[in-house]
Amino acid sequence: MTTNELEHLLMQQPVSLLHRLARGRISRHFRSGKRKLVDLLLQASAENRPGLESDLQALIEQQAQRPQPQPAVQKARPAPAGSRQAAPAPSRHHRHEEHGHHEPPVSLHEWLSGIGVPPPQPFVPDAWQVDALAKLAETDVVVSVPTGSGKTYVAIEATARAMRENRTVIYTSPLKALSNTKFTEFSRVFGPGQVGILTGDRREHAQAPLLIMTTEILRNLLYDAAGGEIDVRLDTLGLVIMDESQYLADPERGVVWEETLIFCPSQARLLLLSASIGNPQDIADWLTAIRPTPCSLIRHTKRSVPLRAGYLHPNEKLTPLFRTAGIPYGQPHLLHPEAKRLFMEYEEETGQARSR
Amino acid sequence: MPPSIHPVDLVATLRQRHLTPAIIFLTSRRACDEAMQSFERSQVTLPTAQREQIARVLAQVTEQFPSIAEHPLMETVQRIGVAAHHAGHLPSWKIAVEELMRTGSLDAVFATTTLAAGVDFPARTVVVTQSSIRKARDFTDLTASEIQQLAGRAGRRGKDLVGFAVITPSPYIDLTVLTKGLTGQPEPIHSQFVITYPMVLNLLKAHPREQIQSILAKSFAQFQLNQRTAVLETKLDSLRAEMEPFGPRVCSDWITQWQVFEQARKRKKPRSPFTRQESPDVAARLHFLTPGRVVGVTRGRGIILRQYRSKGQHAPMVTLLREGGSLNECPASIVTQVFDRTFDCEETSSYPWCTPETVDQLTHHLAELPPRLPILPILTHQHEDAPIDSSIVQTLGDFACPTCPSRQACQRDFPRASRVRQEIQRHIKSIQALQTSLWHRFQERIDVLERFGYLNANAQLTADGEWARLIRIDHSLLITELIRAEAFGAIDPPLLAAVMASIAHDDDRPGSFPRGSAGLVTLLFQVRKLAESLAPHEAPPMLRADVAALTERWVADQTLTWIGLARLTTMAEGDMFRLFARTIEFLSQLKTLKATHPSLAESAEKAIAAMRRGVLEELP
Ligand SMILES: Nc1ncnc2c1ncn2[C@@H]1O[C@H](COP(=O)(O)OP(=O)(O)O)[C@@H](O)[C@H]1O
Ligand SMILES: [Mg+2]
Repeated sequence: MTTNELEHLLMQQPVSLLHRLARGRISRHFRSGKRKLVDLLLQASAENRPGLESDLQALIEQQAQRPQPQPAVQKARPAPAGSRQAAPAPSRHHRHEEHGHHEPPVSLHEWLSGIGVPPPQPFVPDAWQVDALAKLAETDVVVSVPTGSGKTYVAIEATARAMRENRTVIYTSPLKALSNTKFTEFSRVFGPGQVGILTGDRREHAQAPLLIMTTEILRNLLYDAAGGEIDVRLDTLGLVIMDESQYLADPERGVVWEETLIFCPSQARLLLLSASIGNPQDIADWLTAIRPTPCSLIRHTKRSVPLRAGYLHPNEKLTPLFRTAGIPYGQPHLLHPEAKRLFMEYEEETGQARSR
Repeated sequence: MPPSIHPVDLVATLRQRHLTPAIIFLTSRRACDEAMQSFERSQVTLPTAQREQIARVLAQVTEQFPSIAEHPLMETVQRIGVAAHHAGHLPSWKIAVEELMRTGSLDAVFATTTLAAGVDFPARTVVVTQSSIRKARDFTDLTASEIQQLAGRAGRRGKDLVGFAVITPSPYIDLTVLTKGLTGQPEPIHSQFVITYPMVLNLLKAHPREQIQSILAKSFAQFQLNQRTAVLETKLDSLRAEMEPFGPRVCSDWITQWQVFEQARKRKKPRSPFTRQESPDVAARLHFLTPGRVVGVTRGRGIILRQYRSKGQHAPMVTLLREGGSLNECPASIVTQVFDRTFDCEETSSYPWCTPETVDQLTHHLAELPPRLPILPILTHQHEDAPIDSSIVQTLGDFACPTCPSRQACQRDFPRASRVRQEIQRHIKSIQALQTSLWHRFQERIDVLERFGYLNANAQLTADGEWARLIRIDHSLLITELIRAEAFGAIDPPLLAAVMASIAHDDDRPGSFPRGSAGLVTLLFQVRKLAESLAPHEAPPMLRADVAALTERWVADQTLTWIGLARLTTMAEGDMFRLFARTIEFLSQLKTLKATHPSLAESAEKAIAAMRRGVLEELP
């Protein structure tokens, strides 16, 4: 096999096969896209060319023995002359895939239908929002819901309630930019004098009932309070809201979230707002374990505005990404045949362009 | 076919399909800026109403932040209805773009994927062009959480009936990463708890040392360690159950008895599997070299897949998965550090000692690990498993075993019983390690602080400790040591700001502004020397001379305008802003030292006042 032939053969293989071939040959092969991977494999082949070729043949054979999951696509795409067509998906998902085939793939027209602005509706809080606020009357609360669900509403209502009871509220966000946005937003809601902001060395309306700050600043306040220098009136603190709490897992700054939560005064309620994470129950259980009040978890994974995924080819052709109009949760292999075809074409063409 | 769609065509397609407004995530700031430039030549004509709306919103934001009036992109944005939003921009400009998006005035925004968390505005459509992002100088695949964070911006509640996530390919895109991310579960999060010097000082200020362990026990880190402990304890229970048939026989500790008897018998072959030849610290580490454990070796890191003894020498060996996915068989002594990090490892009984999926996953994990990992402190037991006393060997004749009625049972059960017993001991040790690891790390920090004189022998704050605890930023040890070394004696505000800037700045994007004053060059040299001497205890900052010089100039020359300053460097405005904001934060910590270091605090206060002008004054 000439190097050109080898390269050609490699380009025709699915990325998963290339990764298997790269195992032990190329460090960090997971980082590489298809073309990069092929280049690296060709470089690596200098060491033991026959070994690579025979491994490649063996993998191709293995692949060929598996059932072909997408016969329709296979037919639609004429195989390049003299080359072997690779099976596109691993057989693990075969069962699901056939299941999906009972329904025809969604058409572009269907996929695009329903775009538009919903008619104006009176604001009705979602059940989870009501639930979170009800729970907060009795317990600390962790909210883990998808981005864009309406966590701010819960923060605002909880703040209003605490203010009515003459308690102060601290709201933390991970980024100064977000603090500034919230400062503007909350000043609009509660009136400008009611909202303060603390940053590294600046304080505006530091005596306001609602204070916005980054988590680092709150951590420092708590250390000062513990060390005897009372700064802000922590004794009237009724509620601490931590937005974007998934930052708990930030490699550099996550520790600050932990310190803050450990030292958060026990009389204050905690409201943690987080994007969807895999283990929100752990956070709630942890807080229940270390705080005098139990902690409830409010979680859901359903987006409030349904999402559709599409694929846009560089030649401006648009197609649904999946066979279904919505996202087929748990079934990443349910690709739309058209998207699959176009993407294979893309991989092939850009690959060939590079080798020329 | 071009490797990716042209930005102008992309936006045109989205417009035509009614998929605007859209957020288009691109790989880099440069890509965003280039996309914007490609519009400058295009002949887009916006509907008048849209143009007017953009102008109206921009006028409103300009009222609040006058500096954006001069922004070079003002006009382009109004003409084409498209903007860029990334960390290279000033916060005020980003606020303007966000406001434009919130009011639905723009068709598209180009943003960097890296800062997706900072993009807190929604759109109808999100366009994704990549499957990996640069993290700590390396490209790593986007996680499901990250992909969902991006896609989460699509579909505005109350303004859209549906939202769209559109993938358009660019070189090196891996479609499976994206489809899996879109359809998968977000990853669980893990504690990143570390023990910092300020944490130790502040805790010891408020609590006696005896209480610290119970405070550390409240961390999420310990909560997650406890979860692992619980798994080990379940395993321990089942091991104990397995041990039941091997209870006392003729002699109560028959396993040891039989082991010693066996060894005595084989004393001519001293290297029996049960004689540990290795040094105590290797022996102590062995308990932790379990499948899935991340370890440091002389060069690089690896994950243990198996521990065994070599056939001939019975030397402790490990099978190690190295970075890049290669598998090595090496002596256990190659391990120099045991990290407090393990991954699930589905073991198998033959090469590669775990399932191929595990190898893949572990290789991936290994590549993804942060550069610094917590090290597991391991107690070395000098006397553990010492070779058998020769006097025992002498008295082989005294053993009852050869004539004991349970000899056959002992002989038969010994291999299994001793293996289970070892497992039990290993589990007990692991559990102990999980329970005490945070405290060990805390103790290590106490030792350092004591050596430097911030704590006394009773772990109480010294006079230096009392003020040092107020410095609660990165590189706190360097800063407090500089103060104690009187490096800042009667320092000028510009010089102080410059040094703090070089300590605070942790971005390695190249910039150019090489000339600092002679005084600054000398001072930076001193700081660098001290930072290097502290390296065993605290990672040194980058101490870039160019950012120091830039800061010095800004503080020293009060007539210099922001635009004039920007002309002096290749740094992006957003980076300059962040540098100064962070420097001000560091300086404001020095300001809190008024009581003990009045002249330093005063200098810091002056530096802050001098820095806060122009755009730096616009935001709270
Ligand atoms: N119950 C609701 N009904 C309709 N719209 C809502 C509701 N709750 C919140 N919203 C809207 O949803 C959008 C996203 O809310 P936000 O709080 O920013 O989400 P996130 O959960 O990401 O913080 C906002 O425009 C908000 O007005
Ligand atoms: Mg939010």
